[in-house]
Amino acid sequence: MRQPPAPPRRRACQTTDVTHRLAIAAACALAFAAPIAGASAQTYSRPTAAPRTTDASALSAQARQREIHERFERGVGAEERSDWAAAATEFRRLVVLDPPEPKGSTARYDLALAEIHLNHFDAAAALLEEALHRDPRFAAAAANLVAVHLRRGDLTAARAAADRFVAFAPDSVLALYSRGITALRAGDLAAARSDFRKLIDTDPSYAVAHYDLALVELRAGRDDAARVELEHALTLSPAYARARFALGTVLMRGGRRADARVAFDRCAHDAVDPALRALAIDLRDRL
Amino acid sequence: MRIFGRSAVAVVLALGACIGAAAGADLLLDDPVAALVGSGPAAWLGPVTETGRTGWNCAPEHAATARTASAAGLPND
Repeated sequence: MRQPPAPPRRRACQTTDVTHRLAIAAACALAFAAPIAGASAQTYSRPTAAPRTTDASALSAQARQREIHERFERGVGAEERSDWAAAATEFRRLVVLDPPEPKGSTARYDLALAEIHLNHFDAAAALLEEALHRDPRFAAAAANLVAVHLRRGDLTAARAAADRFVAFAPDSVLALYSRGITALRAGDLAAARSDFRKLIDTDPSYAVAHYDLALVELRAGRDDAARVELEHALTLSPAYARARFALGTVLMRGGRRADARVAFDRCAHDAVDPALRALAIDLRDRL
Repeated sequence: MRIFGRSAVAVVLALGACIGAAAGADLLLDDPVAALVGSGPAAWLGPVTETGRTGWNCAPEHAATARTASAAGLPND
C-alpha cells in the first residue's frame, strides 16, 4: 500500500535558524567591539618603570641629586619662615655638594642670605662674590652684595660692586639706586647726580630719587635746583616727611622763615619717626 | 617700687629725646644740610629656589632687573 506522501517537511525551524545567525552575528560584533571599546576607554599610558641600576657610581649620583633637591626644599622653606640657622645648615651642605650651574651660584646666594640675617656680613660678602664669579649676571646676588658692603661700611667695595651691577644691568632701577646712594655716601656728587638723574629718567614717579638728587644739589651748593627736586618729590608723595623737612631747611637757609615754619609744621604732622618729628617741632618753634 | 622705676626710666628717656632734639635743632640752625641724610639701602632680596633661575618666576631676579621702583621694591622714604 502506498503510503500517503509525507507532508512537506518544514524547513527545520527557519525562524530559529535566522535567530541563530543573528545571535552569531551579534556575538561576533560584541567580540570585536569589546577590545575596541576597551582601547578607547584607556586613554592614559602605563607609568614608566623606574630605571634600575646596580652601578655604584650611578646610584651615588642619583642619591646626590636627591640630596641637592631635598636640601634646597628644606633650606628655602626655612628662609621663608625666617629660620636662618636651619637654612644656613642646609645651604652649607649644598655648597659642599657643589651642584652645577645655576644651582651652585643659587646655593651660595641663599647661604649668603642666611648669613646676612645671622649678622655674618663678611661671610655673606664672600659667598655673594663666589656666586657672581660662577654667574656674572646674577642680578639678585649683585644687588644684595652692594647692600652687604654698605652694611659693612666698606664704601670702596660697595662702589665696585655697584659699578659691576650697573655694567650688566644698566636699565635696572635697583642698580642705579644702589650706585647712586653709594656715590652719595662716598661724597662723589657728580656720580650720584648722574645715577639719580638716570633713575628719574627710568621711573619719573619715584619720589625718593628726587629727594636724593636734592641732597646732591644741596651739598653742591645749588639750593634752587635742590628746592625744585624736593617740590617734585612732595608733589609725587605729599606725606614724605623727610623731603618736607629738607625743604624746610632749604627755605630756612634761603631766609624764607615763614615758609620754612610751615614746612616744619607739616613735617611734624606727617613724620612717623619720633626723632624727626621732635626735630621738626623744635625747629618750627624756633622760627 | 617697680612702677616708680618704670616711670623714672620713661621720664629719663623723654628728657633725653627732648635734649637730643634740642641739640639737633642747634646743629641744624648752624648747618642744616649736614644733618640731612640720604635714603637707605634697598631691602634684601629674598631666597631663590632650586629651579627659580632656570624658570620664569624668580621674584628676586625680577626685582633686581625691574625698571620701576615699585617692582624693584625700592624704599618709599
